[in-house]
Amino acid sequence: MKITTILTLCLSFMLSAGLQANSQADPLNSVMWDYNRQIFLGNNAEYVFDDRIKVGVPQFAEDPTQVPVDIDATALTGEIVRIVSWADMNPIQHIFTYYPHPDVLPKVSMRIKVQQATPVRAAVLTKDGVWHIGSSWLEAAGGGCTTPSVGNADPYWESHLGETKSRVFKGAQSSRYKFRVIHPMDTGLVGSIPEFFIQQVELRDKSGRALARMELSPPVSENPVITFDLRTTDAKHHLWLRDNNGNEFEKAL
Amino acid sequence: MLNKTIGAFISVVLLVWGGQVLALEYQLQPKQIAPNTYLLQGKMQDFSRENGGNIMNTAFVVTSEGVVVFDTGPSRRYGEAMRNAIAQVTDQPVAHVFNSHQHPDHFLGNQAFADVDIWALPKTGEQIAQHGNAYAENMYRMVGDWMRATELQLPTKPLEQDLMQVGDHRFRFYSFTGHTGADLVMVDETTGVMFAADMVFFQRMLTTPHTPGIGTWAKELRELAAIPFKLMVPGHGPVVHDTRAVEQMLSYLDWLDRTLTESAAQGKSMHEVMQSKLPASLAAINLSREEFVRSVVHLYPDYEEAAF
Repeated sequence: MKITTILTLCLSFMLSAGLQANSQADPLNSVMWDYNRQIFLGNNAEYVFDDRIKVGVPQFAEDPTQVPVDIDATALTGEIVRIVSWADMNPIQHIFTYYPHPDVLPKVSMRIKVQQATPVRAAVLTKDGVWHIGSSWLEAAGGGCTTPSVGNADPYWESHLGETKSRVFKGAQSSRYKFRVIHPMDTGLVGSIPEFFIQQVELRDKSGRALARMELSPPVSENPVITFDLRTTDAKHHLWLRDNNGNEFEKAL
Repeated sequence: MLNKTIGAFISVVLLVWGGQVLALEYQLQPKQIAPNTYLLQGKMQDFSRENGGNIMNTAFVVTSEGVVVFDTGPSRRYGEAMRNAIAQVTDQPVAHVFNSHQHPDHFLGNQAFADVDIWALPKTGEQIAQHGNAYAENMYRMVGDWMRATELQLPTKPLEQDLMQVGDHRFRFYSFTGHTGADLVMVDETTGVMFAADMVFFQRMLTTPHTPGIGTWAKELRELAAIPFKLMVPGHGPVVHDTRAVEQMLSYLDWLDRTLTESAAQGKSMHEVMQSKLPASLAAINLSREEFVRSVVHLYPDYEEAAF
């Protein structure tokens, strides 16, 4: 065997091994996987599909403007830097980016809009620089992102914008913070109705330190209902929200 | 050689074509359930390309002055098949058609009866006018070619009276709201048959997308069960001679109300509620899990709101 052949073989082996480490096949075989991965994780980010990341969605989107999504990364060991969630086939793919403090369980629930059947993803970045990906397939008839918000047919939201209801549900090991805020969460995809949505959510402790920090995108459903789970059960917290028009809302929990 | 090829080609074409024609026949078999009274019982399933949307019960009564039709099915094709099925049983013309409520499997066969008075509760007429086209589009998506040429045919007569004598049969009408906000129940007082439409489901889990509230539905079910009847025809599922269909529904509605109330009090997310386990007696009902998950989407936000 010629040396050049051996070299070529070695080189191609190295190349393919390198490729494999960086391009695990998408279990849902989505045409949008690589595109979204490059945008949300970066071109050369290291990632693994990881069954410990649970993306809970129903099989079918009964109401494409209100699809429940639970993201749960509590089975993951190692410190979490952030969680990015998106829906592959949505016209606006990004749903949220979540920065959970170590005192907060890496677990969140909300409702989202979908435009058609789609994979829903949660990518969890751990401190070692690896992204752990959880995915679920959601069937849908569609139209959730281009349907005017219910609020648009009813001026109720104009006088109640940012009005928040909340409650703490104490458990033995942790406590759940659940809130509902009045906001149209307009996607900008409906004729003559510009994007108008809550962009930032922070759960702060007494000193103003953010325990849970979240960036939302318009696919989050109108009048968002969101839950956070905290490891502590007694401390006083408050919620701070800001929309893309600069309106700020605060609420003691 | 050429002949063989052509022959094979023709038989393939015939097979495919023949198969399709067979597949898109509703094969309606009217079953006599009382004197002059016939039922076309649908499958206890969800809408699919296999069943063509034939998942509901329709019925007709042959009176001495024409046929009274109760609901027309999910498509033009179904309406036409129903009309043929009626013609197999009687030479009488169709005299009156009733649409029980706004859901597409109960009125999208109306085109086949466009030459007859089509009655519906006034509010049902408004609901069909408002949502009918969207329902039809959704049906095309779910059951496909079975829907071909189906278009919205509105009810033509707002039903405001309580009583109607048609030949030798006397019909009494009850207006409820529990299933969709306007739900017609028709009792043939001559035979004692109650056409309950989707106010009543039996052995097929009830659906809640337009209910004004399951408390309202439960209350009206108790009223309905007090109306005298000999035979009850549910909108979905087999006929019954007693109130067991109503009791099955009440038991589910009660469980559903308790489950949603308790879940909201515990702060559960919508997805967590969907994981609830149904008791065995309810889990045995067709499509119980699927319909429970759908109902959580329809109903849970109000329970959450009340629990804040």
